[in-house]
Amino acid sequence: MIHFERFTLENGLRVLFHKEPSTPLAVVNVLYDVGARDENPKQTGFAHLFEHLMFGGSVHIPDFDAPLQAAGGQSNAFTSNDITNYYNVLPAQNLDTALWLESDRMRSLAFTPKSLEVQRQVVIEEFKQRYLNQPYGDAWLQLRPLAYQKHPYRWATIGKNIKHIADATMDDVRAFFQKHYHPNNAIICIVGNFELAEIQQKVAYFFGDIPAQIKVERKLPQEPIQKRLRQKVIVRKVPADSFYYTFQMGKRLDNDYYLADLLSDHIGNEKTGLLFTELQRKKRLVSEITAYITGSIDNGLFVITGKINPKRSLMELDDALWPLLEKYKGKKMSRPALQQLILKLQTAKAFQDQGLLNRAMNLSFFELLGDAALINKESERFTSIQTTDLQTYAQQLFDKNRCALLQIQAQLP
Amino acid sequence: MKQQPKRAVIDKNIAPSLRPVEHISFVAPHTYHLKNGALLYFRQGLQNETSKIELHFAAGSVCGDPLSASLCAGLLINGTKQKTAKQIQKALDAVGAYYDVSLSQETTVVTLYALKDQLLKAYQVFHDSLFGATFPQKELIELVHERSQKFKVQQQKVSFLAQRLFQRSLFAGSIYAQQIQLEDFRHADRSAIMAFHQQHYLKGLKKVFLIGDISVLHLDTFQCLLNDYQSEIPKRTAFEWKPEAGSTHIEQEEALQSAVRIGRPLFNKTHPDFCAFSVLNTILGDYFGSRLMSNIREDKGYTYGIGSHIVENSKFGYFVIGTEVGVQTRTATFLEIQKEFERLQNEAISDAELELVKSYLMGQLLKSADGPYAMLDLFANVETIGLDLSFYDHYIAEIKAVDAKKLQELAKQYLNWDQMLIISAG
Repeated sequence: MIHFERFTLENGLRVLFHKEPSTPLAVVNVLYDVGARDENPKQTGFAHLFEHLMFGGSVHIPDFDAPLQAAGGQSNAFTSNDITNYYNVLPAQNLDTALWLESDRMRSLAFTPKSLEVQRQVVIEEFKQRYLNQPYGDAWLQLRPLAYQKHPYRWATIGKNIKHIADATMDDVRAFFQKHYHPNNAIICIVGNFELAEIQQKVAYFFGDIPAQIKVERKLPQEPIQKRLRQKVIVRKVPADSFYYTFQMGKRLDNDYYLADLLSDHIGNEKTGLLFTELQRKKRLVSEITAYITGSIDNGLFVITGKINPKRSLMELDDALWPLLEKYKGKKMSRPALQQLILKLQTAKAFQDQGLLNRAMNLSFFELLGDAALINKESERFTSIQTTDLQTYAQQLFDKNRCALLQIQAQLP
Repeated sequence: MKQQPKRAVIDKNIAPSLRPVEHISFVAPHTYHLKNGALLYFRQGLQNETSKIELHFAAGSVCGDPLSASLCAGLLINGTKQKTAKQIQKALDAVGAYYDVSLSQETTVVTLYALKDQLLKAYQVFHDSLFGATFPQKELIELVHERSQKFKVQQQKVSFLAQRLFQRSLFAGSIYAQQIQLEDFRHADRSAIMAFHQQHYLKGLKKVFLIGDISVLHLDTFQCLLNDYQSEIPKRTAFEWKPEAGSTHIEQEEALQSAVRIGRPLFNKTHPDFCAFSVLNTILGDYFGSRLMSNIREDKGYTYGIGSHIVENSKFGYFVIGTEVGVQTRTATFLEIQKEFERLQNEAISDAELELVKSYLMGQLLKSADGPYAMLDLFANVETIGLDLSFYDHYIAEIKAVDAKKLQELAKQYLNWDQMLIISAG
């Protein structure tokens, strides 16, 4: 059980406070309700580029990191298709410094043309390092537009291509800030050994006078239910053929999410999962195979991915996978097997919840989903699942017509 | 929505005043001397349901041939006389446990995670699997195959190529330079793996870290189980070391970026210069505001990230700078790194920068000491090299005391471009 207090400033900033008496540290997590899904299709990669610029100085502060480091703290951020999340961890006695820094950059950014130039370059190097200069690195750049045709999940957070980043102007960036970076579009979560009154007073002091703005209503095109299998084959200089089967699933808070999470563990686990035992060990088609879900806020993807063994082919795998999934649909999981899966998830969650930063991020994320208290209901959502629910869901999920398949073929030397 | 009136009295231009980290308390775990000679360190008082047990074996890649060490670690929990790999996994799944086997040069650490009420049950299964491992030929064939496939993927990564050549050259002439090659996988030998297990696991248990609010009764059972095997670890003999310097580039056609490793032999925490050098290393490249990051990323935009680190082993250490930069800016990056070395040698570090880094390091140490898991890790870091937690009090005192003059001397002594080993790939 994670206890928390919640209040909202008059300018719309939502504040969460989780008291942790045992720590000498403070965590300040600031989540902005903007991700790559909110980008203009002609200017992708902006949310992420913007995250870089947020460290480039604000109205009263030339450099974000230096004052935080001088306070003994550290800061970083990440951008996903759904959100942009900034976090600071520092000695509790210097909490004010983190609040001062975060409030100043929420109030107004003051980045220079030079910081735009440099961060543009840094992001291009990041693009190369993570997506282009790695074997299989561009798989998701190829896969997203195959699995999504309408929803903006069809591009990756790094952007559709480098050109969008290369072409970003100061005006574009300013407009992005205006639209998405304001109290009404943010959730702040503070963790540490503080009193609620103290937190209320401090947050009001630092953030209270940031002008309110109307939150722009999000109207994203939703992904229609796929009617027919989509398949794409690309050839790359890679050592082995690889494959990515994706299946359309529901939103983060839908029952689907919990069912899909359990199913992916059940069939994808190493050593005991169906994919491993049948396709890797018995049929010896693959050298690795696993299953997982993307867990996005809007409709996500269930992914089965792996690499083909030498002298075996993508086609052989395809011929074996579909009948295997068909057979799986016909089998009901046993009650003890389900309980084991849930126990494993609960164990993993107990370890994650140990971390202060994890707690702060998760509280913020669930608040964004509608209510931070949902964090304490996750376990129940799993335990209320019945074995018949899983079977029914598997039958619906593993539908060839709702599959997008990317195959990467190794280029012959 | 109503806008709040501007409060003219608040001057947000001024940074809040800072309070330094004055004191950090370090808490040692309870120590139990097991009858077999190994040590058990136990930490409780967690206030949550988690627990883990961590077994340290003198079974790293330098303890024998690196292939046997690696395959032995990979097959540890893969079958006994009574159970198959799948049956073991199912038994662990039944209690919600996870495990991890991590092989380094000197040690293999085997960790089991579970909720505290399940840990003993999980460990009983795990213990039998770990010590009673039979290394079935069938599992070996599969692992060798999987590993060689993964190796081929790794070989396409510039970072992998650079890191391997760096290690080979840095450790030239010593057992630490041994590496697995792709063709070695074809000669994997079950009897060599079993011999490795016999010598380095059944007789190689060095110490155990146990953490979680588990009962006294369970603690006793853990001790009994751990006493099953004798701890007979041979003293490591001093090794010959002829590190190379100079520069080597591995050309990779079509690479967009070059991976870079630049470094030299150094020392570990037992050396008198360690603490002061840590401050110098941080200034140079070990935090976001470091000189390398400020110059090469934040000013020039050559890279997504660059960092410098001190890597430690039981008897020595090394210093390394790592980055991936655009192929066209590789040479320019080298020049900038060289300039940063020279700046540290020729110019005194300003008070402001030095104070910032000192505060930063204190804050990071506070973070590293936060919570029982972190504290146990801090303890393990010093225990491994024969020190105790008083090292950290010494470290704090040294950080507070070090001045610009001392750092300049250290830069002159340890950060000479001509003495560096410079490796790039891509």
